Amino acid sequence: MVDDPDARSGADAAHLEGCPECQAQLKAVGEDARSIASLLAVPEARVDVGRAFERVVNNRKSQPALVRFPILRPSARPLTLAFVAAVAAVALVVVAFTFAGFFYNPTTVRTVPVTVADMQALSQLADYGTLTWTKEPQLQATTSAADASALAGGLKPPVVSKLPDGVSTTVTYGAMSEAVATFTFSAEKAAASAAAHGKTALKMPAGMDGATLTITVGPAVGEIYGELKQPSSSDPSQINLPQLVVAKSVSPTAKSTQVSVTDLENFILAQPGISKELKAAINAIGDPSTTLLIPVPVEYATSTQITVQGVDGVALGDNTGVGGGVVWVKDGHVYVVAGSIKRDDAITIANNLK
Amino acid sequence: MNLGARRMATAKSDDEAFEALFTAEYARVVGIANRVLADPHEAEDVAQDVFIDFHRLHSATAQYAPAWLHRAAAHASLNRLRGARRRQKREVAQAAEEGDRMLDPQKQLEVNEDRRQVRQALGKLAPKPAAALAMRASGLSYAEVAQALGVGIGQVGTLLRRAEAALRKEVTRGTSN
Repeated sequence: MVDDPDARSGADAAHLEGCPECQAQLKAVGEDARSIASLLAVPEARVDVGRAFERVVNNRKSQPALVRFPILRPSARPLTLAFVAAVAAVALVVVAFTFAGFFYNPTTVRTVPVTVADMQALSQLADYGTLTWTKEPQLQATTSAADASALAGGLKPPVVSKLPDGVSTTVTYGAMSEAVATFTFSAEKAAASAAAHGKTALKMPAGMDGATLTITVGPAVGEIYGELKQPSSSDPSQINLPQLVVAKSVSPTAKSTQVSVTDLENFILAQPGISKELKAAINAIGDPSTTLLIPVPVEYATSTQITVQGVDGVALGDNTGVGGGVVWVKDGHVYVVAGSIKRDDAITIANNLK
Repeated sequence: MNLGARRMATAKSDDEAFEALFTAEYARVVGIANRVLADPHEAEDVAQDVFIDFHRLHSATAQYAPAWLHRAAAHASLNRLRGARRRQKREVAQAAEEGDRMLDPQKQLEVNEDRRQVRQALGKLAPKPAAALAMRASGLSYAEVAQALGVGIGQVGTLLRRAEAALRKEVTRGTSN
């Protein structure tokens, strides 16, 4: 029973007409609502929409253009897909590193140091085959945790017990459905791509041509607190962290046909430009089939191995408040807490996440 | 159309969509904030911040735009209400300003005191019921409140009834102390 006539369904309205008891109850509810409304009554604000719009636009124009997170723009579908494809290409590289035969399913995290040269070398791998989506990711921003959860196949967004001082309580929820992509290695494409750059492609190991790597990512849910800050430099490609992002995803998995671990690992590490440090770090990983590798740019970030929620995790950043984050894998889920907060605050949030 | 031209066209239509959204929703967003803060100037500040945040983060053509704005207005103004220092400062300024306007200073003092108590009580409620009350009192329909808070429309009536009871209790507690 409600005091908004438009919100009454047909059946309710019909019942109400013939039921004096409900009519009396509705009257009491309506009076109650009116008395509260009178308590909250204030003189109406007289607004000058045109002038206010000018102020908002001027404020906006005085700052450099901001790169929006595509996940927050469900309407911009081509952009979103391009972004996801780019992420998938990097994920593919990361997954390929840890790929161990026929099934990859991480249960723990480790960092590996990467240089800009490493990233450039690794990005060439995307030219060594074709990526196709067998199940495209659906990205959506929502105003409620329940909606986000529904989009992510019932996965509930983690709950932050206490926000650090200064972090906005304005929250936007984001959800991504499960997505499946298949990468098919192609010697011909690799040769063509290398030729286009005036180079000769590395010879693929036997059986790799035509082999497939099927990667499943998500579903994932998350919360974004506060706003995306303006980049401090004029470089629009630089995305500054929002105040806080908390996300949970089902651990990614990868399956492959035809190709052996050793061959794939050797092939990747033989790419020109890969640093000695990265090779050493990859070789030092105990069980690559169960480890999620977090590439950390050595020039820009520091990382430490920590214990979070009783499992091994990785803490990134420092305590200056410029940026900090924590990544861990527990019970088949990857968790991320990151933002423009102190690393220790990120660790506290991570440990108290429910 | 080449990439550059397409980007410019998108930017232009984005700007137009934002202006249309602003024109349609600005007064309502101010209304929600004003209902919480009982201060039209501060309500406009909150509303403008909310629109700037929205434009930084989202596309103006997003279906959820009005719901996001309403929710953000309620939460941002409730956050301000809870900032004790700011509240005190605002009340002093508000009392002085309204004192100038009103003919009966005694009556105005009583009105101010009532408003102060109600806002203090509102600030003590949990965020969701407080936001629901502010939105409904500023004229949003049940459907709009439901969308902004991400609840089913069938839950709004119950949510409001509980919020009203909680507010009444807080106001009574405040006056009996």
